[in-house]
Formats: sequence, structure tokens, C-alpha cells
Amino acid sequence: MKTYEVVIGLETHIQLNTHSKIFCSCKADSWGAEPNSNICPVCSGLPGVLPVLNAEAVKKGALLAAAMHAQINPKSEFDRKNYFYPDLPKGYQITQFDEPIGKGGYMDLTLPDGHQRRVRIHKLHLEEDAGKTKISAGMRLVDFNRCGVPLVEMVTEPDLRTGEEAALYLTRLRALLRWIGVSEADMEKGHLRCDANVSVREMGSQTLNPKTEIKNLNSIDAVRQAIQEESRRQIAVMEAGGRVESYTLDWDADTSRLTKMRSKETEADYRYFREPDLLPVLLSAEEIAAIEHSLPELPLEREERFERDYHLSAYDAEILTSERSLSDYFEEALQRYGGEAKIVSNWMINDLARLMNDLGKSASELNLRPADLAELLHLLDGGKINAPTAKTVLRRVEETGKTPTAIVEEEGLGLMDDLAALRQLVAQVLKENPAEVASFRAGKESLSGWFLGQVMRRSGGKADPRQARAILLELLAAE
Amino acid sequence: MGPDRITPELFDKLTSLAALALVESEKEYLRAELNHQLAAVRELSEIPLEEDILPTLHGLAIPPKPSRPDVSDAFPEPGKIVAQAPESEEGMFAVPDVAHRKSEEE
Amino acid sequence: MTPVMDWSAAEIARKVRSGEISAAEMLAASLERIRLTDGISGQVGLTQWDEAEERKVHAFIQISKDLAEAQAAAVDAKAARGEDPGLLAGVPVAIKDIFCVEGTHTTAGSRMLANFRPPYTATPVQRLIDAGALVVGKANMDEFAYGSSSESSAFQPSPNNPWDPTRVPGGSSGGSAASVASTEVALSLGSDTGGSIRQPSSFCGVVGMKPTYGRVSRYGMIAFASSLDCPGPLARTVSDAALMLQVIAGEDPRDSTTSQQPVPDYQLALQQDVHGLRIGLSPDYDRIVFPDVETGEIGTEPIQAEVSRAVYDAAEQLARQGAEIVEDVPMPNARHGIPTYFVISRVEASSNLHRFDGVKYGYRTAQPVSDLNELYRLSRAEGFGTEPKLRILMGMYVSSAAYSHQYYLRARKVRAMIRRDFDTAFDPAGAYRLDALLTPTTPTTAFKRKAVYGNSVLMQYADQMTVSANHAGLPALSFPGGLDGQGLPIGLQLIAGDFREDLLLRIAHAYELATRQAAWRSAVPEAVRNEASK
Repeated sequence: MKTYEVVIGLETHIQLNTHSKIFCSCKADSWGAEPNSNICPVCSGLPGVLPVLNAEAVKKGALLAAAMHAQINPKSEFDRKNYFYPDLPKGYQITQFDEPIGKGGYMDLTLPDGHQRRVRIHKLHLEEDAGKTKISAGMRLVDFNRCGVPLVEMVTEPDLRTGEEAALYLTRLRALLRWIGVSEADMEKGHLRCDANVSVREMGSQTLNPKTEIKNLNSIDAVRQAIQEESRRQIAVMEAGGRVESYTLDWDADTSRLTKMRSKETEADYRYFREPDLLPVLLSAEEIAAIEHSLPELPLEREERFERDYHLSAYDAEILTSERSLSDYFEEALQRYGGEAKIVSNWMINDLARLMNDLGKSASELNLRPADLAELLHLLDGGKINAPTAKTVLRRVEETGKTPTAIVEEEGLGLMDDLAALRQLVAQVLKENPAEVASFRAGKESLSGWFLGQVMRRSGGKADPRQARAILLELLAAE
Repeated sequence: MGPDRITPELFDKLTSLAALALVESEKEYLRAELNHQLAAVRELSEIPLEEDILPTLHGLAIPPKPSRPDVSDAFPEPGKIVAQAPESEEGMFAVPDVAHRKSEEE
Repeated sequence: MTPVMDWSAAEIARKVRSGEISAAEMLAASLERIRLTDGISGQVGLTQWDEAEERKVHAFIQISKDLAEAQAAAVDAKAARGEDPGLLAGVPVAIKDIFCVEGTHTTAGSRMLANFRPPYTATPVQRLIDAGALVVGKANMDEFAYGSSSESSAFQPSPNNPWDPTRVPGGSSGGSAASVASTEVALSLGSDTGGSIRQPSSFCGVVGMKPTYGRVSRYGMIAFASSLDCPGPLARTVSDAALMLQVIAGEDPRDSTTSQQPVPDYQLALQQDVHGLRIGLSPDYDRIVFPDVETGEIGTEPIQAEVSRAVYDAAEQLARQGAEIVEDVPMPNARHGIPTYFVISRVEASSNLHRFDGVKYGYRTAQPVSDLNELYRLSRAEGFGTEPKLRILMGMYVSSAAYSHQYYLRARKVRAMIRRDFDTAFDPAGAYRLDALLTPTTPTTAFKRKAVYGNSVLMQYADQMTVSANHAGLPALSFPGGLDGQGLPIGLQLIAGDFREDLLLRIAHAYELATRQAAWRSAVPEAVRNEASK
């Protein structure tokens, strides 16, 4: 029985989060705007207009190239790609054909089984977005609001092998795009679009067979599912002795079905030629160096560093590097705390995450600052408060904006630090519950938990549970 | 002189690419003119090119200049643009749909 | 008393600024002159007209009376307030209908845009308006600027040559040249891609300049060939052309290819003489080449003898003024100008025409269509005339994946060789060290209507003297240099180095001054003569 290998390449279009479009001064973000309200003569392709390049689009494109370990080309060029389509007002798209801004590049993925997969980048270039069409009663209605939004097109080599890997790549890519601040990368809003190319071959073969192209993938889940579906289909065809033909397939997320759109025609002749209305895109050695230096520590690198230097688990490290503001918060809190990373990590992954979720805030939006968290942990360590109290204080800090110390004082949340009073309290509890004491002494040791609960209640939560337990056991053991 | 570079078949392919539905009376005239033009263009391939010559885009060298700063500045009257549409609906440009050739899933 | 429409633009502006005449009066005079000489404006689908119209100029597609009246009122109000109404205050101008002007239809001479009303104004036009000029009308032209006779316009009747209405005014800026020559306006804004300002200027006996590529913004100019197109001035005198250039030249943030080179004071240039300037003559511009379209063989012939003579006479005249004439300057790649142009201009033109698809503006077929493709194919076939179709098809062919290398890439290299000829000629450390090259503008004087139209190769070869400057990006000026035996204007051309419009103006102005009293300068175009005698 032959085994087959699935070969997958992903083509992504990434909307850059500049203020204005790539070749005109309309806003780049027009989500929710009325159709054709965010247009001008340039992006709607009126006769006589000319494109003018947005410097920030170049910078963000170059930054993305650097983040993908690609080489930033000091000189790149724009070209026209000519074809007819109603969402393409000029009848050509301004793109980069043979001299793109980025060359090479890769992303390393750690697969669930621990293996590394390097996904190489085949193409990375700048181009302009097209408009949107909507079908209505046999007519196509076209909205140019999105025409001219700056895009980076990034195409991988066919290095991926499963739908799961493709989903992982996209997840990582999305996190990276947000991390370096070049795109909101929200697939539902179309900031990140993906087409998948799938083919199969016999395991061990080096040749590439005809591939199908899957379009209309609007979420990472859709990418995973569609690829899995198509892989199954193609393998079935091969096993039946058939031949896979090149088609463009449309994924219907509602029915989880792939339908053939059209034969992948011989590539239309786009008659690419150098765009005469634009000058070459030039980046000096200094500018390139500045862009490369401005690249922050990337999520994967930071994840590795957290595991290595802070001895965090892979799980924890991944969560703490999934989003930039969260990650920066963690590190600042840890530095101020000066103690074990695991402690800070636990608080962040559990209580802080819950808080952020409840309030719908990101780490940078919290009133509770890293210094506050550090202070809270110091109070806990110093026995000034116990764990349940700390959770309460956390929320109170967020609500009021006051420091933990201030809240503990004002609200009298400090633990009892009077051991004598505690001894008295424990003794009191034991005295009031002779039956339970007898049971305990007779062997029902689980009652110690019940006793502790009573002590804690009696103390209004202010007893230090460790101290209370120690005293309880001492007194219970006596007599 | 050799056979026409642009045969009737190639001509039809070009008009299709160019999205032009020509009437018969135009076709032969245009095809003949194109072939005449190509005859004139033929000499281009016979000119000995100077060894170090690089293709030029504008003739003169245009020195680099800084690109546009990333500031948004809305066009005041987008409505005037849509108003030019031969047909519009709900504020959008309206055209007939593409001929669909969506086939059944295998 | 000189009729006001015979005044130069400079004179008009001076008199409007000083209050001697109002902008409103200038407009009225221009409209009156148009009424007398122009006849009906071009219209789509018109095929017949009165015989009387045959002698008229027909320079315009549209007279923009309301717009001009508002502009005139603004100029007069400004002057009344004691503010400076501008360098071109009250000067009636014609704008070639390839420039978008808000408040007018902008048609590019095509049915495809017959109903297009742009929501914005081209930069060079805005600069003219800001300087006080009055946009009297949109000048007729070859469809989408494709042609050298203006006959291909979808708006008929197309312009006639004011010197002889049985002849063409040249093209594609035929209406521009005709309106200036017939004194309907003082200035016109034209466009030049292969000679489209200079050739009609030559045929109509006016001054026309193609500035350096990037000297004048192309924003708002409906694109023909983006790497060759140049907006530029047409006027009756060199100093008027200089005045207009002063107003329209300069960097535009909306056009990335415009130059940051500062715009000099061109009036200062006019005040300098030509003493010591080195002006070259080239045998490669003293003959025409033409292909045998069946065999592809290239033949050469001397140009029209009177034209050749006029060039030498001008050289002698300039020598008398102190210039040094340098003969036998080789420009060996000039002969490749037209084949190169066939390729490059068509590649860019076919792409620039892609946006005309019946979807967003302009013409859409009235025939019922079953799908989008049919909409495109019918709209474009019906909206475009023959010339756009030829350019589209040729452009598609020579830029197709199969042939792009052989044609388009090669043509860009030959273009560089054409440029190199000029670099060599103008090199201050070279063998010739020219300040300018003097050539004829056109190989012949104006040809008869319908004599060439329909023969696309022959029509294109009319541009062979002018096209090199477009390939090289260099500034070039055509100025009147006499009349031939039939009383038709002869045009002379000067070409200079990048951004040396000052030299062109200086030399042409010196020539103009030196020949001020020449007999031929008192000749008046028939169209004007006919009306002046009434």
C-alpha cells in the first residue's frame, strides 16, 4: 500500500495598518463605512490620476520582511499587472513583479510532536488591494472603499504538510503581525487573507504534482478543515488510480464543502511592465539598518528565552508570548518582583487573564500595572495577606487604581500578625467543638481541614492559613 | 516578405484579451494596419545594440525623492465619483455578473 | 487699432491688471472671435454639415462660457480689491480636451468619455486658473491623443488648419494650435507624447513647447504613454510661451515623476542674447525615413526642400546674432525613433486604456448584455474609435509574455541609445558641446485632409523629427520659420538639455526678434483674414 504525502503552500495577503492607502491619501481602514465613501479620484481609477507612494507602507513592508528573516532589498520596483475585473478600477493592479521589497525568509514552527518545520518564503512584496463586490439579484455591486489599501503578499514554498501545520503557521503569522505592529491581522475583517495550494505525491517523491487552489478561507479553522478535506479527496483520487487536475476550489464554511470554481487556466497574460508613474523604491543602508534594529524581540525568540532563562514551561512561555502587551507586562512585573518567574506566570495566566477577559481589556489597558502586581506578590510573600485576599486585592486595585498596600490598609485586609491572638482563636474553636476534636484524635484526620475552615471564618479570613494549620495540629496533638 | 505576424487566429485572440467585440468590417483593416506597423517595427530587432546599454524608462534619469508621509486626507466629495457610474445601486457601481461555470463537486 | 484678440497674452494680462480692460471684456472678445471663425463645435455622431462650415476652424469640442464667466468675474473682483489677479489675468485660453477640468465635460476626443464630468481639475489647468486665465473652451484633438492630424476625433467636424481649411492643423493638439493661430484665444494648454504639441504648432505657424519630462505635472491629464507624455504651452510668441510655462511648471506632490528642480525666471532668459551659444545641425534630421510596409525595407528621402532651406536660413540668422553653428552633428539613432515609439507608446497606451470598461464612468453599451464580459467587449468596441483599437491591439501584442522581451525590452534599450546621442551632442566635455540642436519640426508642411488618415504607419512617421525628444525626455520647442510656396507655415525645432527650457526660449526669442520685419510675418491665416475683412 502506498503512502502519500500532502504538500501545501499558503498564499497570504496582509493589510498593513497605515493611516492612509498606499497610493493616495484616503484612509486605509474603512471597516463599517458606507460603500464608496472612502474613495478619491486616484483609488477609483478616474482618467488622468497618478499614484503617489506612502512611505509608511514601505517601512512596514520592510519591517515584516525583516521579521520573516528575509533580506530587505535596497531597491525594489513597482509593476503593472493588467487584467479586467470590476473591483480593479484601473484595469491593472500596481504590484511588485520581479524586484520585490523582500527576498527569501522563513518561519520556524515547532510542531506538536516536537519536530521543527521551517516554512520558507517564496515571495514577499507590496501591492495595492482591490475593491469588494457583492452579488445582488444577478448583478455585481462594487465598492471601492478598500481599493488601494496597502498589502503585503507573502507566498510560502510548499513546505507545509498538514492542515494542522497550516493553521499553526497562520496562528503564528497573525501573532507576529500584531506583535510588530504592521497589521491588525483579523481574518474576519479581511486583514489577513489566505489561499491554500494543495497537492499530493507518493511519500519519498521529490516532484510536485498538479495542485488545486482553495479560496474563500475566512478563518484559521476554515484553512485547517478545507485542507484536510482536500487532502482526503486527493488521496482518494490517487488511490483509485486517477489523476488530480488543477482546479480552483471554493470553500463553503457553512456546509464544509469544496466546490470546483473553474479550471485553473493557463496563467492569464498579465503583460507585466515597469510602472512608469512611480519611481524605484529606495532604502539606504542606514534606513535598512534602522528598520532591522527597530525589530523587537520576536515572539518565538522570546518564548525560547523565557523557557531558557526563566525556566518556564513551554505551555506557559507560549501563552506569555502570544501577545505583545501581555508579554511586556509579564517581564516588567517579573523584574520588579525579583522572585520566581513561575509565581508571576501563574498569576498572569490565571487571575490576570480572567480579569482581562472579564473586563475586555488588554494588558496595557489595565489599571493594575506591573509594579502593582509585583507589590501584591511581595505582600503575599511577606505574609501580610493570604492568597484569597490577594485575589480580592487584585480586583480592588483594578477598580480603584490604588496600590495594593493602600487597599490592604484602608480596607483592613491584612492578615493577623499576632500569633498569640491566633493561638487563642484556635484554642477557642477547639473548645467549642469537642465532638470533632474527639473524632480527630480518634483517627479522623480529615477533620483538620474542617477545623481550619472554622478558624479562617472566625478570623474573618485574616488568619494566615499556614500558621493556623500549624497551631491547630500542635493543639490537636497535645493532651 | 514572410507571412503576416498577426494571423487572423492571433488577431482574434488579441481582441479577446483586449475585451473588444469588433465588427467584421473593422477586423481586416485593423489586422492589416497592425501587420504594416509590425513591418516597420521589424528593424528594431536588427539594430545592433550597444553593449553597455541599459533599458531606460523615462529617457532622462529621475533622481530619487522622499515618498508621501502617511497622513490621511479625505476627498471631499466621493459622491461625485459614484455619480459618474452608468449604473449604480445602493451607492455601488452595478454591473452584470460574470458568467459562472461553477461545476459540481467531484 | 489692434483687435484685442491679436494682443499677446502678456499684453492682455498687463492691461487687465492695470484696469485698461476687464477680464469680462476679454472673454467677450474671445467668444466673439470664436463665433466668427470657429463654426460649430465638434459633436459625436455628426457626419454632415453646411458647406459654409468647411472654411471654419472648428477648434473646439466645448465652449465653457459659464465657467469662464465665473473666472472672469473673480479676476475682475480681485483687481477691484487691489489684489494681484495673476500673471495671466484675463487671458483667454483653450484647454486641450485631454485635461480634466471640473465644471466641463472632459472627453479626450472620444465617444468613450463624451459624458464624463470629472470631479477634479488637472494641476496645470488649476495653475492657469489661479494665475487669472479664463478657460474659454476645451480644444478638439485626435481621439485619446492618438494621431498627427486631429482627424480621428469622435467629435466632428475635427479642426481645420486656419491657414488653409482644406488642410489638417496637425495633431494630436490640433484644436489647441488652431485656436491660437486663429486668435480665438491667446494661449492653449496641449500635450506632447511624440510631437503632439510641436507638430500642430509647426503646421499652424505658432510656438509650441514640449518641456522636459517631469517639468509640468501630468496629474489630471488623461494618460496616453505615461513615460512620454508632457503637458506644454502653445502661443503666438516665444515670450507668451515663456509666460505660460512659468505658470504651469514646477513640482506637484500628486505626480511622483515631477522634478524638484527649481523653476527659473524664464523672462530673464528671454533678455539674454545668443552670443556664443553653440547650435548644432544634424544631417540625420535633414532627411526622412519611411518603411515599405510590405517588405519592411527602410528608404530615405530628403525632406521638403523649403523646410530644409528654412532650417539653414534660421541657422544663418542665428549666426548673424552671434551664435556658433556646428554642422554635421551625428544623431545616428534618430532614425529608430518611430519603431521604438510604436512599441513603447502602445504598451503604455493599451494599459492606460484598460480602465475604460463601461463600469465606473463614460460610455456603456446600450445593447442588452448577458454577462460582464459582454459588457466590456461591447462598451469598448463601441466607445473606442479605430485609433485606440489599433493601439490597444498593438500594445497587447508587443507586451505579451511571448514577445515582450523581443519588442518592449529591446525598444527601451534603443530608446536609451537615442538619449545617448543627445548626451554626446550636449556633453560640455565632448566633441560638439552643443547648447541646442536645430532641426525642422516636421518633414513637410500641413497635408491635405484625408490624405494620410487611414494609413497608420504613414501618419505616425509624420512625427519622426519630434519623437526623439520624447524618447530622450528632453525639452523641445517649435517656432515659426517662414512660409512655403503655398503660404503654409514652416516650423523649426530646437532641442536642448534637461531643464534647459531657458535656452530654447532664449534662442527662439532671438530669432523672432531678428526676423520681426520679415515679410512672411505679416501674413495672416485665411480663417482670420476672412473674418477681419468683414
